[in-house]
Amino acid sequence: MNSGREVIDGRLTVEGFSVAARAFADKWKTHNQSLPPWSWVPLINRTLLLSNQEEGYLSLENILILSSLEESTEDESLNVATECSEKEEPVDHTILVQNQENEAHYYDFHIVYSASYKVPVLYFRGYCSGGQPLSLDVIKKDLPSCSVSLLLQSKWTFITQEEHPYLNRPWFKLHPCGTEDWIKLLSQSSISAGCQMPVELYLVSWFSVVGQVVGLRIPLEMLN
Amino acid sequence: MSEKETSPAILQFAPLNSSVDEGFWHSFSSLKLDKLGIDDSPISITGFYGPCSHPQVSNHLTLLSESLPLDEQSSIASTSHGNRNKCPVPGILYNTNTLESFHKLDKQSLLKAEANKIWDDIQSGKALEDPAVLSRFLVISFADLKKWSFRYWFAFPALVLDPPASLVDLKPASAYFSSEEAESVSAACNEWRHSDLTTDVPFFLVSVSSDSKTSIRHLKDWEACQGDHHKLLFGFYDPCHLPNNPGWPLRNYLALIRSRWNLETVWFFCYRESRGFADLNLSLVGQASVTLASGESAPTVPNSVGWELNKGKRVPRSISLANSMDPTRLAVSAVDLNLKLMRWRALPSLDLNVLSSVKCLLLGAGTLGCQVARTLMGWGIRNITFVDYGKVAMSNPVRQSLYTFEDCVGRGEFKAVAAVKSLKQIFPAMESSGVVMAIPMPGHPISSQEEDSILADCKRLSDLIESHDAVFLLTDTRESRWLPSLLCANANKIAINAALGFDSYMVMRHGAGPTSLSDDMQNLDMNKTNKQRLGCYFCNDVVAPQDSMTDRTLDQQCTVTRPGLAPIAGALAVELLVGVLQHPLGINAKGDNSSLSNGGNNDDSPLGILPHQIRGSVSQFSQITLLGQASNSCTACSETVISEYRERGNSFILEAINHPTYLEDLTGLTELKKAANSFNLDWEDDDTDDEDVAVDM
Repeated sequence: MNSGREVIDGRLTVEGFSVAARAFADKWKTHNQSLPPWSWVPLINRTLLLSNQEEGYLSLENILILSSLEESTEDESLNVATECSEKEEPVDHTILVQNQENEAHYYDFHIVYSASYKVPVLYFRGYCSGGQPLSLDVIKKDLPSCSVSLLLQSKWTFITQEEHPYLNRPWFKLHPCGTEDWIKLLSQSSISAGCQMPVELYLVSWFSVVGQVVGLRIPLEMLN
Repeated sequence: MSEKETSPAILQFAPLNSSVDEGFWHSFSSLKLDKLGIDDSPISITGFYGPCSHPQVSNHLTLLSESLPLDEQSSIASTSHGNRNKCPVPGILYNTNTLESFHKLDKQSLLKAEANKIWDDIQSGKALEDPAVLSRFLVISFADLKKWSFRYWFAFPALVLDPPASLVDLKPASAYFSSEEAESVSAACNEWRHSDLTTDVPFFLVSVSSDSKTSIRHLKDWEACQGDHHKLLFGFYDPCHLPNNPGWPLRNYLALIRSRWNLETVWFFCYRESRGFADLNLSLVGQASVTLASGESAPTVPNSVGWELNKGKRVPRSISLANSMDPTRLAVSAVDLNLKLMRWRALPSLDLNVLSSVKCLLLGAGTLGCQVARTLMGWGIRNITFVDYGKVAMSNPVRQSLYTFEDCVGRGEFKAVAAVKSLKQIFPAMESSGVVMAIPMPGHPISSQEEDSILADCKRLSDLIESHDAVFLLTDTRESRWLPSLLCANANKIAINAALGFDSYMVMRHGAGPTSLSDDMQNLDMNKTNKQRLGCYFCNDVVAPQDSMTDRTLDQQCTVTRPGLAPIAGALAVELLVGVLQHPLGINAKGDNSSLSNGGNNDDSPLGILPHQIRGSVSQFSQITLLGQASNSCTACSETVISEYRERGNSFILEAINHPTYLEDLTGLTELKKAANSFNLDWEDDDTDDEDVAVDM
């Protein structure tokens, strides 16, 4: 019976992605308490002005990484000494003078379905507490070292910067052109056991590889 | 206060900090460009904040795309209502149209105006109905939409208490409550936070009864709470994480409490969370002491403070988003991505840096020049200079792929100029220039009046060749290739030569210059040097370049070729250049023949073999590679000619231009011909013809 939800040749349909996404988010919430849960963001069908529950993406945002004090990422050339000769505010002793603290980096992750490759794609971006976006070089410094070496050596993973399909600005993504191949490798074991990879497990398996590249590990229990 | 034993410290508040998501600037730019134009009236915006969620990092007041009035373009449903981490707070944005007007804004009066609004809301009771207005804020900005940079400054107006409030006590909530009470308070908070109706209400009352039951109530229920409690605290979402200071929202909260309820002692509860649940270790309970206004009939507006500091200084913040918003930069990263994908998927050892930095000089901007330029761009080559003295003619655009009909209308644009314009239209980040100049040619004698200008052109050509890395010889005559070949050999620059016949083409790379191996002449073994050098376009000639243009018939004057040839030859010329650039020996790479190759990848270059010459025809749909060594008698690249040029410079050139036999004498070709003629050969009498050695292409 073709419900359109099967995993065929390592690829997913839109409906399959929707099912897999919810299964993934549920398992994550249960087994991965150390991180916040993923939320499903539905896409609005503009012609009907309805939320189309079938189409959307998974979102995990504001993940905090503390890093050591760094150079300002602000554009220094824009720092103009403003004329503070105007009447200043009275000095207010009730305002705590703060020291420079560790720089906080925040990360957002989206799992979005790619209609052309028919696989999920991980989009991510980083920014500092003031909102300034982080460059890829800075982001790589935040990754655990095993992730960085995976990135460099693996022929399956490749970070590119492209326009986010729904937010219309550049995000980083793990390029999906190898996904189909390594999903097939992962599903060899279930095929040899005589069954197809169930669609509910697709994203879990996918993330077990992809997550490592960006330093997000999933506990083994999620794979059952 | 006259007590000396424990004079309480002044209550110090941790300032609130702003965080502006990139999406806000994107949405604001669209709003400004599409709707507002130069209208700079203030805009109502919404900020978002929530309680602190991490013991080491404070939360911020955030602006997102949704902060602006409704955006119809968004395909994502707005998620701000009932969102536990995004309590909406009203704010106002003053965006100026110039940097000067940004600096001229009267910040004090803007701040005062917003503080007045807060005071009015306190007096009128609105702050009880909708307490989020206590955290009202103000932003001034200047959005430079040409450079995609944004300068901004937040203010969080706080009513100043005079005299300031003093802190009697402050401790973690878990130390203040009994363990039973703590459990009950946590549960009540979690429920408050869990319900969509209350989760975005940032100020509330915490009422704990004597039997440790907690209820959380809205501020407007104050009267109803009286008498009911054992402990009554003023709770609020505290973005601050510090253990010894409450956050900024408490300031206006105290002003409200003092004004509405005339309390001298205020117990407050700084609500903070971790992992999405109430954290009573991180949360604080404190006791503040406030001086009531005495003997005033009408309460006056207090002073206000609140401009955000930038790393401790009273300056605005700024952010540059050119990388994600400037269309040219976006085009550049898209093109770079394409090349990187090629490298990643197919050619891991491809050196993309050498391609993006190489400077190419194209002599000729006709059919070949246009095709070469386009293919160079495909390889990510950004620096292209055109040399051509002609104008775009009506017959050109169909064959010369950079020109359009507009370029020929009227008197016609200079090709060198039109080509540059076309490249920039295709890819704005191209660095391209055009030189309108004719190349001096031997066999076209010049009068003494013209000498100066011809020599100036020679110098200009020489300078151009010196300042580029690779030169393409793409002109339409043989003799126009002589001087560039000589200059390239002299300067040891990569020269790629492409020439078309009616239905055949020839593409070749010149060998290195004769003094390339060692300029200090230690390597005197010239024979050895020459054997290692590949030949140039003129190496196989036994006649010097002559005037091939005068006295030809019309059809011979116009280069008539099958249209498919220029794209083929132009493309091969570029692939040949890229092969040279990727080869570890560069210009000194030896020539491969396709017949001798391993049929697969050559170890030296990731791209495959690197031939010397490629000749093909479309009448046969065939193509072969050839190999030719440099000739000692070459009129363009031999040691003799180059050293003569170096010694005599301009006079050498003038002589070569005015007396074509001069070159033949100099190189010994004259001698060679005499010798050949005097050699009696016994030709066999059959019909097979030897192929001509002289190549007239």
